[in-house]
Amino acid sequence: MTDESNPSSRVSRRQFLRWAGATAVAGALAASGLDLLHPLGTEAAFRSVRRLSDAPPTQFDREVASLCEMCVWRCGLRAKVKDERIYKLEGNPFHPHSRGMLCPRGQAGIATAYDPDRLKYPLIRSGPRGSGKWRRLSWNEALDYVAAQMLAIKNQYGAEAMIFSTTHNLVQTQFENMLHAFGTPNYGTQRSLCYNSMITANLMTFGLEEPGRDYSQARYIIYTGRNVLDSISNSESQDAMSAIARGAKVVVLEPRFTKTAAKATEWLPIKPGTDLAFHLALIQVIIEQELYDADFVQEYTVGFAALREATQSYTPEWAAGKCEIPAETIRRIAIEFAQAAPQAFAHPNWRTSNFLNSFQTERAIACLNALVGSWGRPGSLQPVGGEEGAGLGSIPQPAYPRTAAARLDGVPWKYPLVPLKLGVFQELRDNIITGQPYQPHGWFVYRQNPAQSLPDRTKTAEAMSKLDFIVTIDVSMNDTAWFSDVVLPEASYLERYDPLAVVDGTVFIRQPAIAPLYESKPGLWIFKELGQRLGLGDYFQYKDEEDYLRQQLAPLDITLEELKAKGHYRLPTSAAEGDKAFVFNTPTGKIELASQTLANSGFSAVPVWEEPVSNAPGAFFLLSGKVAQHTQCATHNNKLLHERMPSNPLWLNTVPAAERGIRDGDEVWVESPAGKVKTVAYVTEKIRPDCVFMTFGFGHVSKALVTSYGQGISDSSLHLSFTDPVSGSQALSQTFVTVTKA
Amino acid sequence: MDHPNTSPAKTRWVFVMEPERCIDCEACMISCSVENEAPLGKHRNWIVKIDKGIYPNLSTTFLPENCHHCSNPPCERVCPTGATYRREDGLVLVDFDKCIGCKYCMMACPYDARFVNEEKKAVDKCTFCVHRLDAGLPPACVETCIGHARHFGNINDPESEVAKLLAKHPYYRLYEEAGSEPAIYYIYSNRVIE
Repeated sequence: MTDESNPSSRVSRRQFLRWAGATAVAGALAASGLDLLHPLGTEAAFRSVRRLSDAPPTQFDREVASLCEMCVWRCGLRAKVKDERIYKLEGNPFHPHSRGMLCPRGQAGIATAYDPDRLKYPLIRSGPRGSGKWRRLSWNEALDYVAAQMLAIKNQYGAEAMIFSTTHNLVQTQFENMLHAFGTPNYGTQRSLCYNSMITANLMTFGLEEPGRDYSQARYIIYTGRNVLDSISNSESQDAMSAIARGAKVVVLEPRFTKTAAKATEWLPIKPGTDLAFHLALIQVIIEQELYDADFVQEYTVGFAALREATQSYTPEWAAGKCEIPAETIRRIAIEFAQAAPQAFAHPNWRTSNFLNSFQTERAIACLNALVGSWGRPGSLQPVGGEEGAGLGSIPQPAYPRTAAARLDGVPWKYPLVPLKLGVFQELRDNIITGQPYQPHGWFVYRQNPAQSLPDRTKTAEAMSKLDFIVTIDVSMNDTAWFSDVVLPEASYLERYDPLAVVDGTVFIRQPAIAPLYESKPGLWIFKELGQRLGLGDYFQYKDEEDYLRQQLAPLDITLEELKAKGHYRLPTSAAEGDKAFVFNTPTGKIELASQTLANSGFSAVPVWEEPVSNAPGAFFLLSGKVAQHTQCATHNNKLLHERMPSNPLWLNTVPAAERGIRDGDEVWVESPAGKVKTVAYVTEKIRPDCVFMTFGFGHVSKALVTSYGQGISDSSLHLSFTDPVSGSQALSQTFVTVTKA
Repeated sequence: MDHPNTSPAKTRWVFVMEPERCIDCEACMISCSVENEAPLGKHRNWIVKIDKGIYPNLSTTFLPENCHHCSNPPCERVCPTGATYRREDGLVLVDFDKCIGCKYCMMACPYDARFVNEEKKAVDKCTFCVHRLDAGLPPACVETCIGHARHFGNINDPESEVAKLLAKHPYYRLYEEAGSEPAIYYIYSNRVIE
């Protein structure tokens, strides 16, 4: 998506050359042989010239094997260090997620570590929240103060009056340890803003969170909004590109001509919210024409008859009216997909928080895969999923206190089927604002930026203003930290140990390439020190970070020193693995095309059509998504990435743009019921005329983020909050906006 | 192959690009910037993006590019001080000590591959990561290309990946008509030479 911010690098180079050429000619004329050797200036200007011998180093003091954290994919990296400075990051060839390569964000990691805007010391505010007035504290003062505030809230209102929230990370075990030991049930994660509907649907169907994909032999792949070549998960993006190059047929359902769409065999610019109709129609055709894998369905699934009955009326002709894709195309794809199976899969997708019907869409996709037997075979979905960690040692700790209080976010009393670890993050603000079912008073934010990531930023700000105490721990002064009372600086991922990570049966280590910069500290250290001050020291029985890792490695035949040198360790394979591929962790032990669990909670047992909201005339679907050069709202202050993509113009189709007199690069007003903001239009053919698109993470309000402050706009200033009652997923694509020339 | 780049006795480093596999992620650009400490805003490599069509019939092509290290380099010919020179293995390099910043080479380059590096007070460009090559490593952009679009090697070694790709697929070079004999080959990876 950098093409709109930098429409053509060739053009800009040409323009530069024209200017450069004029200067050169003028310079040559003025010099007229007098000082031809020094047209740039005097001798003095040349004293600082780097000599040719100053070529970048190829010899380093050490190469440190560690793990990337520029996104959540955790690729293996090698940090090249000389004179205690990291020169370069490269992919670790032994790590299955990187295979020796890093994506643009991973390559840019040093600019996160060396960001001049980083948090350097513990800070306490010395003016109103958001005033930017801070006073520096010592770690002792800061931790004592935070613990005292948390204990005061606990003593006065109960532990449940503290909310803890974080985003997917390796220290999450100790974060969760702290919140459980503290005794609050109120746990917020990013998951309901991301993949609740995908995870919940797969749990209901297959009994696991997210099936794997075997690209190596796949012949047919359907992506439903999964922009795998732009929204990079390193190894999967590599696999997808290789499958396409090998000649696999790839169908992309997407309202926008993404890079994945550009590489696909077939792009279907589907109407937003109607992917469900498309997949129900595929199911209908496959059942009606008896193209399903009858043996597989018979042996491994339950509920086929109910699915057949429920989907009978979902013909391609019916779906065509919903999703604006011709019936014959839908029918053809159903037949092609079934014929290619089982070397075919409909991708479970990733961020599926799009519409209130996204859970049904994900259920339909899961059932579609099951019907054609895309499971546990070459080229199909794979029975893997969830975090690994078996085989590692654990750190001793007492049992957690019982928590009597209900969760504020409504799990499970309002959202009975949402897994506890997912939660319904966006709901918490309503609890804070209304004080129902009880009033929270404090918020502990760890490496997360809800002021930017949650929809409807005005509501988030209102909720934050009602809290007595907010503490944020992060590497940078993000927007949430900016409105906090105390801010604690964490060491960047290149400067600290984290708990070990296990991928595909191999242990990987995140370890410091350099010592923590400034006064920043590793998360493991922060949790232990804060835990002790909260009277929870027994829950943090490790002397320091290295001791934590030694305890994890205790059962294994490798020392910490050996692991640090090697970077990875293959776990002994357990003989008990066996053939688990077709053991399903569902109530029936089979793939549940019809789910009694869903029926018991008052939802449809089989996937059914739920009509999505549509846009009023003149209004646009506001779509959001990722780009290759940034991660969520966490990388926009990285100078290398900011240089590649400094802002997020609004994608607008040429036809509605012309109707409104808007030209490429014009300023426009974008307005939703949640807010009105001014931005710049990127007028393009590459989006449906009834949609606009912006990538998220821009529009920072923290003035401490000097590089990125005020650049672009935040989707959270426009998005409204809608929650899917089944999965708790926030629906991020059903806010409608108007666009006018500014 | 029938062009001056090939001479079995010598090493001749070339790039073979697969536009079909470039996903425009720009990892190559950032890797290069970090490796070679290019100043912010200036790049030794880049990706040309070509959008075609009217909604919904669209195509986008990505062409990864950097200095073409021509066998007959126009930049070398116009350099008044000999700062730009050609190595035995075909690499076209700039000796910053000799560069006077006259920018004639920038005018002459058919690919706009050169820029003024204010920090070095000299004209800068891609070196094929000569410091890494001399240490036995591939260029930084090649090593991290997650689309596997960038390939690098000795065209005169029939066993090299680049030689094999060029033997198998039809290819073209950019502005070949300028006669500079560029060393970046773009292959049609979904077509095979009969």
